[in-house]
Amino acid sequence: MTYLMFLLLMGLIFGLIAVASNPSPYFAALGLVVVAGMGCGVMVSFGGPFLSLVLFLIYLGGMLVVFAYSAALAAEPYPESWGNWSVAVYGALYLMGVILVLFYFYGGWYESSWVPVDELSGLSMFRGDMSGVALMYSSGGWVLVISAWVLLLTLFVVLELTRGLSRGTLRVV
Amino acid sequence: MTPVHFAFSTTFILGLMGLTFHRNHLLSALLCLEGMMLSLYVALSLWTLQLNSISFSPTPMLMLAFSACEASAGLALLVATSRTHGTDRLQALNILQC
Repeated sequence: MTYLMFLLLMGLIFGLIAVASNPSPYFAALGLVVVAGMGCGVMVSFGGPFLSLVLFLIYLGGMLVVFAYSAALAAEPYPESWGNWSVAVYGALYLMGVILVLFYFYGGWYESSWVPVDELSGLSMFRGDMSGVALMYSSGGWVLVISAWVLLLTLFVVLELTRGLSRGTLRVV
Repeated sequence: MTPVHFAFSTTFILGLMGLTFHRNHLLSALLCLEGMMLSLYVALSLWTLQLNSISFSPTPMLMLAFSACEASAGLALLVATSRTHGTDRLQALNILQC
């Protein structure tokens, strides 16, 4: 469990380095997929399968399809991957920074600080996160209404931003 | 600071630095924002799971909904700029002063 958690957290950090070191958007989207997968693994290891499932299905399935479409829209003939010189230099700089900060915090860690705490499994029928998310429909109802309203508002914002008449963004020049 | 706290703090800071320092494409900036949102999701979920406070677990869901709003608005801006200017490179937008 310790080594698995170590690998997952390393993958989380390396994936974000891969996104932040400024490659082309195709490869940055690939790094984001890696980060999402590793985050799912971390949450499963901590005993939250429902939160992990939501992250995997909603985040990867919903957002990254849209991001793949947009990467196709913003295509370029010679994409820069991590083997490119400037991207590799930025990635190495970020990695060095992470290692420096890691040395600052490394002394306070011990063997069992990787292991998650899981007490709720003996007390309830469902996993804790599953019954906790269901609270959104009872006591968190007004926040649910507000977030649904915000999503509807975002739909109109998007429609207004990409509208193709004289007032919109697509104009006849 | 446990290793997990170190990991999601580092991912958030890395996404923020990537968003701040060097961006060629608008889509790269949006991807860095998505990475920051992902680390926030992991952080809120781990708050729930580590402290065993299950009544906090709707919060990552709501954060995911709001980050979907942010992503859709950003992608609409991307589509709008690439339709009007033909590219999404931020340098071209700088030169054209728009």
